[in-house]
Amino acid sequence: MSDILLQIENLSKRFGMVCTARELNLSFQEGVLTSIIGPNGAGKSTLVNLLSGSLAVDSGRIIFLGRDITRAPIYKRVSMGLGRSFQVVNVFPQLTVFENVEIPVLAYEGKASRFFRALSGEEKAGEEVSAVLEMVGLTPVADLVASKLSHGDQRLLEIGIALASKPRLLFLDEPTAGMNPVERVRILQNIRTLSQRGKTTFVIIEHDMDIVFSLSDRVVVLHRGDIIGDGPPEEIKANAEVREVYLGEEVLE
Amino acid sequence: MRGRWGVIAFLAWLAILLAVGLFAGRFYIYITTRIILLSIFAMGYNVLFGRTGLLSFGHASFYAMGAYALALLNLHAIQSPLLGLLVGVLSAALLALIIGFFCVRHTEIYFAMLTLAFGMMVFSLIWNIRSVTGGDDGLYGIMREPISFFGLFEIPLGTDRQFYFLVLVVFAASVWFLRRLARSPFGLILSGIRENDQRMEFAAVNIKNYRLAAFVISGAFAGLAGSLEALLESATSPFMAHWSHSAEPILVTLIGGVGSFAGPLVGSVIFLALREIIERFTENWMLWFGVILLIIIIGFRGGVMGVFSTLTGGDARTSAQGHDDHV
Repeated sequence: MSDILLQIENLSKRFGMVCTARELNLSFQEGVLTSIIGPNGAGKSTLVNLLSGSLAVDSGRIIFLGRDITRAPIYKRVSMGLGRSFQVVNVFPQLTVFENVEIPVLAYEGKASRFFRALSGEEKAGEEVSAVLEMVGLTPVADLVASKLSHGDQRLLEIGIALASKPRLLFLDEPTAGMNPVERVRILQNIRTLSQRGKTTFVIIEHDMDIVFSLSDRVVVLHRGDIIGDGPPEEIKANAEVREVYLGEEVLE
Repeated sequence: MRGRWGVIAFLAWLAILLAVGLFAGRFYIYITTRIILLSIFAMGYNVLFGRTGLLSFGHASFYAMGAYALALLNLHAIQSPLLGLLVGVLSAALLALIIGFFCVRHTEIYFAMLTLAFGMMVFSLIWNIRSVTGGDDGLYGIMREPISFFGLFEIPLGTDRQFYFLVLVVFAASVWFLRRLARSPFGLILSGIRENDQRMEFAAVNIKNYRLAAFVISGAFAGLAGSLEALLESATSPFMAHWSHSAEPILVTLIGGVGSFAGPLVGSVIFLALREIIERFTENWMLWFGVILLIIIIGFRGGVMGVFSTLTGGDARTSAQGHDDHV
């Protein structure tokens, strides 16, 4: 359980004068549920965008499963097993919930380019889609168009799409934002279960401290493009610098 | 308005077309042939426009490529109509592959402008290389030889009525192919690209390849329609490649409904029938046609099919499947 999935070496990114990632060195091990926290503007989203390929890096290297993916296109990273979900709802609005999940499943199974086969005949893909929908709890609304779902259900679908690609390492960008407490518990339970099953390693970008400290094996704290804390939740809670810049009153009570 | 009704409506339409072929006079056969050619052009075009959301202004060049490839083969080598159609389609697909390779890297207005630029280049090549293309005269004297099955028996195509039935068979086969395509995994991927191309990449799909495939398929259908027109007219014209001709499939798709599988077909009928009627009353048909277009585009969002499916209680844009199932 200690294989390194993803390694970042001296990763930097600037926007004009603002440094949003400064010589970052990090590695993510298989099976270790990690949270990345930090105040607004700390560079959390930038980091995920750099790793997933939405942003080009200025310097440094990204190594995934032993291969340099620093300049690899997004679809290649995802097909290698490096996935992400989005903070804002980012689904296929006019397709049904089923079809939303079917797209990554077909791509994963290498069937996406079949142009002369009925979609309804893809039974294996169909079963896989049903399994994913069951997991995120969207089976009852499978035939609804995604845009008609409640915000919370769209967030669940968002995570379902990300899971459907069967990622080895999955970045969840504020997975519970906009969910009601029931959905929140459900999705956290799922993350914990899936994480324990060991097929997918999760990295969560989160604001909610309760979630971070109850769920994670490891917490990474970013502040203005620097890593100012990295360790088990208890150690982070006790870290003076982290408390000063970020946690502040919240843990002091 | 689910799948079965679509099939029934299509079979009814085929029956009407068949009746036209059997009983109508020469003029109506000619007009109906033109309608079917435009339907093939527009339905193929909608694989790109309706499915992936890319707006091309260059598909007239693939139409012309199909026509000129058939004409050159017919005039200089073999007169077999089926071989001519095949060569026409493959040449158009090849040209679409080359042009598409450069265009699919871009989207929206950049994509549209690039296809327009390539389309203008093709037009000007056809216009200027007189020795091959006949310049502004085009190529003429294309022979419509019978379709021969290994010398065993022959199907004559000499009259417009005989040729009409070949066009009808090609049309039915095209619709069948496009419908299969729309309901395949590939069709779903294209819908996903239209809906959210950014997310598509995060589903591990290389969207450039899919855009290119849609571009080539729509180009091949443009070539098919073009080579059929060359056979129909026994001639080609450089204006087949003119950018204004590229606007035709866009117009008929907007009239019929971009979100509907049969929209381009319905639009083709309305477009050519209206034009024929208006032309009888006035030479300024473009003016009146423009007015009617304005009414349809402003008043009937989603085209005629969109309004139709709203009236019958369906939602024109429900899902990839629902969306194909509208007649």
